[in-house]
Amino acid sequence: MTLSCLIISSSHGTPRHTRWNCDAETARAIGLRISFAAVALAVVVPGLPAQRGHAAAIVGETHYAQPTTQPPRTPEALKEDYRRPSTIPFPKENPYTPAKAALGKRLYFDTRLSGGNVLSCGTCHSPAFGWGDGLPKGIGHGMRQLDRRSPTIINAAWGQIFMWDGRAATLEEQALGPIQAAAEMNLPLDVLMDRLAHIKEYQPLFAAAFPNEGIVPASVAKAIATYERSVVSNPAPFDAWLEGQSAALSESARRGFALFNAKAGCASCHAGWNFTDESFADIGLPGDDVGRGKLATGVVKMQHAFKTPGLREISHRGPYMHDGSIPTLEAVVEHYDRGGIDRPSRSDLIKPLGLTAQEKADLVSFLNALTSRIDPTIVPILPR
Amino acid sequence: MRNTTLVGLGALAILGGAAAAATNQVITQKGRAFSAESIAIKKGDTVTFLNDDTVPHNIMSMSKGNEFNLGSQGPGASTSVTFNETGDAAVFCAIHPRMRMTVKVRE
Repeated sequence: MTLSCLIISSSHGTPRHTRWNCDAETARAIGLRISFAAVALAVVVPGLPAQRGHAAAIVGETHYAQPTTQPPRTPEALKEDYRRPSTIPFPKENPYTPAKAALGKRLYFDTRLSGGNVLSCGTCHSPAFGWGDGLPKGIGHGMRQLDRRSPTIINAAWGQIFMWDGRAATLEEQALGPIQAAAEMNLPLDVLMDRLAHIKEYQPLFAAAFPNEGIVPASVAKAIATYERSVVSNPAPFDAWLEGQSAALSESARRGFALFNAKAGCASCHAGWNFTDESFADIGLPGDDVGRGKLATGVVKMQHAFKTPGLREISHRGPYMHDGSIPTLEAVVEHYDRGGIDRPSRSDLIKPLGLTAQEKADLVSFLNALTSRIDPTIVPILPR
Repeated sequence: MRNTTLVGLGALAILGGAAAAATNQVITQKGRAFSAESIAIKKGDTVTFLNDDTVPHNIMSMSKGNEFNLGSQGPGASTSVTFNETGDAAVFCAIHPRMRMTVKVRE
């Protein structure tokens, strides 16, 4: 029996691996019992800030096995990945009530939630623009342009991490972020609470939605998040096709669906009924914004990485990307076909695709089939 | 030279004795999910992170004393990590933050 013994050490910040073989008898003779023994004098963890003063886990060599090849999935099998859920998920910490949603809708559209009394949540996340603002980048306090495009809130109920860089863990946390941000709505929460407390018609709405809790930031956050979770995309032609209406999708869109899941590789990130797996990726766009990299300093793949957006109602949501730099879906497909900027942070999934003109057109046809006839949204009469 | 080698082996023998019960558990990642939400290991044990999924993962931890970052690893890659600090190590995928698990490292 031969044992493989491995030592990982560090020399001037460079991990070194020393491997040798010895037989079990020799090992016993010297009183050495090694399973996968590893001795670290110090370990440098690639991609993390230097950790001085204490050790870190020891990383062994990476082995590669040929991934198990799966037979291509049939369109019928793929359909199961995309079926619409029948109910909206609400967290147990903030369950749905009609009173909460009604209060939340008023708060969402109320410009008094901004320092200048001119911006509401609905200003940048407007139902008139697919619950975004139709601009390349948002407009904040003092009409100044923000750094990133306003993301849609459609299907936020299924979100598991929020903002382009994922800095908000819950929709409740997200709801209070822009209100307080100096560049966005620029209103300190204590000032907001004072304002709301002096708007007489809000008092019974808060009392109904949050008995015994009063007008506090947590109630504002819960109410807005509850309303936002009620904003769900309507069934689109793609859903009708999933349900068996074969004529609901054109031949081109059906080919696009197959490409989406295979050659184009879109489904590697735009997965599931809402077309996002909530992942973060650098898709090779130019620009200085490092996105999630600012929160994950030193993690190579998080530099220039942004959250994968869902694709529901996508035709209403241009311009596209975190910086609004791509005006049309056709141009989006062209970007992915080229593969973007080749740099260490670029996702391993982003690479030139070699799509034909017909394949690009088919993908756009499919994407357009993800857009429904959005119901008009009635803007509420606000409390005074 | 011979003396130096024996001293080195002697040091390893001591450490090898401490690692006598070291074990290795395998955590897989199919379907953008770890195969376990939580595992308990002993200090010095090894966990092998095997990407049996169809997309790359970037498994890492920032828990004090057990920091590591495997970088982006494609399907088929596997890497062993030895945890040497007692406590709960929060392990996650940087690319898919909802992939989270806890490695409970005990004495």
